[in-house]
Amino acid sequence: MNFDLTEEQQLLEDSVARFVADKYPLEQRRKLADGSRGYSEDHWKAFAELGWLAVPFDEDDGGIGGGPVETMVVMEQFGRGLVLEPYLPTVILGGGVLRRTLAGDQRADLLGKLIEGKLQLAFAHSEEQARWDLNDVTSSAREDGDGWILNGAKTVVFNGGNADLLIVSARNSGGQMDTDGISLFLVDPKADGVKVESYPTVDGLRAAEVTLKDVRVAGDALLGDAGKAWPIIEAVADEALLALCAEALGSLDVMVKDTVQYTQERQQFGHPLADFQTVQHRLVEMFMEYEQCKSLVYRATMEYAQNGHEAARTLSACKHLIGTAGKFIGENAVQLHGGMGVTEELRLGHFFKRQLVIESQFGNSDFHLEQFAA
Amino acid sequence: MDIELSADDLKFRDEVREFFQSHDYKPGEDYAKWRLDWFKAAREKGGWDVPKWPQEFGGPGWSPTQHYIWEQETARANLPWDLPFGVGMVAPIIMTYGSKEQQERFLPDIRARSVNWCQGYSEPGAGSDLASLKTKAELTEDGKHYVVNGSKIWTTMAHIADWIFCLTRTDSSGKKQEGITFLLFPMKQEGIEVKPIITLGGSHTVNTVHFTDVKVPVENRIGEEGKGWTYAKGLLAHERTGLAGVSRSLVALEKLKHQAGTVKRGNGSLFDDPSFRGKLAKLEVDLQALEFTELRSLARAASGQQPGPESSILKLKGTEIQQRIAHLTMEAAGPHMAPWGGVNAGPKFARGGTQSYLGSRAYTIYGGASEVQKDIIAKNVLGIRSQGGSN
Repeated sequence: MNFDLTEEQQLLEDSVARFVADKYPLEQRRKLADGSRGYSEDHWKAFAELGWLAVPFDEDDGGIGGGPVETMVVMEQFGRGLVLEPYLPTVILGGGVLRRTLAGDQRADLLGKLIEGKLQLAFAHSEEQARWDLNDVTSSAREDGDGWILNGAKTVVFNGGNADLLIVSARNSGGQMDTDGISLFLVDPKADGVKVESYPTVDGLRAAEVTLKDVRVAGDALLGDAGKAWPIIEAVADEALLALCAEALGSLDVMVKDTVQYTQERQQFGHPLADFQTVQHRLVEMFMEYEQCKSLVYRATMEYAQNGHEAARTLSACKHLIGTAGKFIGENAVQLHGGMGVTEELRLGHFFKRQLVIESQFGNSDFHLEQFAA
Repeated sequence: MDIELSADDLKFRDEVREFFQSHDYKPGEDYAKWRLDWFKAAREKGGWDVPKWPQEFGGPGWSPTQHYIWEQETARANLPWDLPFGVGMVAPIIMTYGSKEQQERFLPDIRARSVNWCQGYSEPGAGSDLASLKTKAELTEDGKHYVVNGSKIWTTMAHIADWIFCLTRTDSSGKKQEGITFLLFPMKQEGIEVKPIITLGGSHTVNTVHFTDVKVPVENRIGEEGKGWTYAKGLLAHERTGLAGVSRSLVALEKLKHQAGTVKRGNGSLFDDPSFRGKLAKLEVDLQALEFTELRSLARAASGQQPGPESSILKLKGTEIQQRIAHLTMEAAGPHMAPWGGVNAGPKFARGGTQSYLGSRAYTIYGGASEVQKDIIAKNVLGIRSQGGSN
């Protein structure tokens, strides 16, 4: 048992931390978020050059063979800067599907492009009625000669508007809630019958509504075996959940520390706010929740690295705590910043909004408490 | 970063399990004899009777992982009763601040569990504000004795204790933290009166202790006169991390789940009640987190680093979780939380449940009330330098 980062992991952390400190002051983030793609293509190139896009891929694929701990290290630092670049949709979700399904030339081609920073992906899986049930899929896939015809609607697809390729889930057999019978397809967003409506999300990111009307894809668009996508969906969802929790952890640390600092500077009634015991105790409660979150992010990540999906219960515990603690820390950070807390001027409010969106992704805290208790 | 137990760790775990099994208490055995034999056998394993003592004083010198394994296994095993005051509390002070002579005089009996100790800190007028204590110790003219007068309160097990380690005031002219002197003396002597305090659960574990002209030889003083607060403070931090009780809570939670499954509700059990199950699940999430918080703290200690910020929350969160388990156990009993005494009504765990709940209310009061803990974390961990607050 060991809680220390290896030398390589420490170097990775340092390099991401330096980038975030250098490139992500609030003003610059705001400009990027308002730009045409909602992130910086130069940053993405830098990610490729620094090897960050290669983290979870095997060395045979041109990757660096990192695991859940390396992803955690990267995402935690991204969380400290509210990084906008679509690392989660492209590398974790999209890349997670591709490295589990592709073979031969197609594998070399697409993973190569991804790692070089020349491919943007989006995971078009969630449907409106499904809320967070990953197995609830009504989009359909019908065999048509040597290809497939896809129909359905996908909702809040992060990075959907920027994606060069969409990874779409659709059912070729079974009932609405069956885990069996779901397939994954690579879909060109410009193909006939595909509609991608992109919009900003409350945290400054971009997502899209994706509809597919009689979209014809070729046989090689099918990722893995027909109807057998469930374990792949489960795996990338696990990894996305861990990545989000690590990102949240980095954000929570910033929120706690910003609030400790602000309450010591802000004078009221002739005292710094932090002189008041009621304020001190609230800060301590926020700090304690953060430490508990850190423990569960470590635990879930290490257990997943060890046991894969068997660690699902701990992953649910982690997402639950990140959700409840995130709300507690976020709301109290806003409260203790007083009027400034509810403005767009301080970075605090932006961290708070990101926290709210993380709570809404891949199962909120109630959903995961239910999973945990089941 | 990984959680794999090494082959050596697994071997150690088996060895611990084997030891507990082969030294388990057999019904009908003389308990007192079994108890002392158990500690002797643990000692022969190489310091297993004093896992937390430094190696130079006979401790086993375990890695944090080994400590963790020990904690986990002890929580499930039937260990002989052991009060924390000797081995866990006064011994580290004697090791750190006592003279060589005092170490030789006191440590062997403490280790053998042949002498019971109690802690004389809190006073009727000084609870979490410990430093404002007033029990007076005056040096006799010949400089050979202190004469102790005053009262201590909440003194756990004073009624069976052979010795007390006691904070006394030898000087009240300066700051309240100065002029405190750390004395050791026997409890069974003239001038000491112990009166029971019955707590809400109906049990007698704590007492008030009155001292009238109790004579204590100067060689029973630890360290220098007036420095007792410094000595005690280090121990308090130590006491607080020990109060988290994570392993015990893990076992108690398993028991509670089992008990909830035996409580009938319609055609099912209490376990089917979504509200109860939700509370249980939330509790388990928090405990899983705290278990790792404790591990992080252990790992740091073992690599010789100063305790990290994570250590400071162990007592606060740990006691809160113990209280929640006790509360849910009482809640699980439903209307049967009420019958008291030797009544045969409702599930068997009901009586114990109510009693532990009532007892658990003290957890966030002793060892420094939670509010005081928060003051300490604000100052020492968050680095807030208050000018106008209460601390």
